[in-house]
Amino acid sequence: MDLKDIFFKIIIIIFAIFYFLYALVIAKQVKTMDKILQDKYNQLILLVTSMQVTVSLIILIMVLLSIIII
Amino acid sequence: MENNNKKNSVFYSYCLNPQVKFDTQEDSEKVYLLLRSHPFTQIGWILSSIFFFVLLFVLNLFLQSFLDSGQILIINLFFIVFILSYIWFNILSWYFNVGVITNKRVIDIDLHAVIYKEISDAQLGKIEDITVKSGGYLQSLFDYGSIFIQTAGAAVNIEFNNVPHPSDAVQVINNLLGKKHGS
Repeated sequence: MDLKDIFFKIIIIIFAIFYFLYALVIAKQVKTMDKILQDKYNQLILLVTSMQVTVSLIILIMVLLSIIII
Repeated sequence: MENNNKKNSVFYSYCLNPQVKFDTQEDSEKVYLLLRSHPFTQIGWILSSIFFFVLLFVLNLFLQSFLDSGQILIINLFFIVFILSYIWFNILSWYFNVGVITNKRVIDIDLHAVIYKEISDAQLGKIEDITVKSGGYLQSLFDYGSIFIQTAGAAVNIEFNNVPHPSDAVQVINNLLGKKHGS
């Protein structure tokens, strides 16, 4: 593995971790806002936010697995 | 209020008698109007998102020369996730920045950058002055503007920025004020 590959992997790990944390913060905030204002599209908003957290978790797991396997 | 013919319009940014509830709502409190920023004011981030997709396409042409296909796939995946998150972030900012007008008070719910929230309200009885500011070609064309509500004493002033039909919204508030002072 050359230096370019190592650098690339470090970057994607950092990005995946930060993206997962960001998705968690957004989800927490959306839950809070859902309590503050109950509107008819809130369920859709909560669903999409949950999907964002799921995707961010999948990305993080995939990135970590690719590092371990390769 | 009943004369106001714009029931629900402009992509859910001007809603008369909406079916919404908020956490500090009292039992006898009824929501008459819910305001969000006019969709046209969101054009900046919509264009930015389109630009990011174009940028990704252009980036792919250059990346092929010094990265392998697996790395390009990962970069594309991350870039698309970034763009979708950016779009979602802006939708949330728009959706949760609302002005609520009830039969008892005026409430301004702001969600700055999604992580900072600010909720201010003013009782209708404390409203001293309402100013509508709408100027410029686009604001006149799409009928949107800002409403500034000044309150008496140390109570916080309320500001609804870039809301659709500002004159109609002020008419709704004035009707409620009339009812309140008349009763």
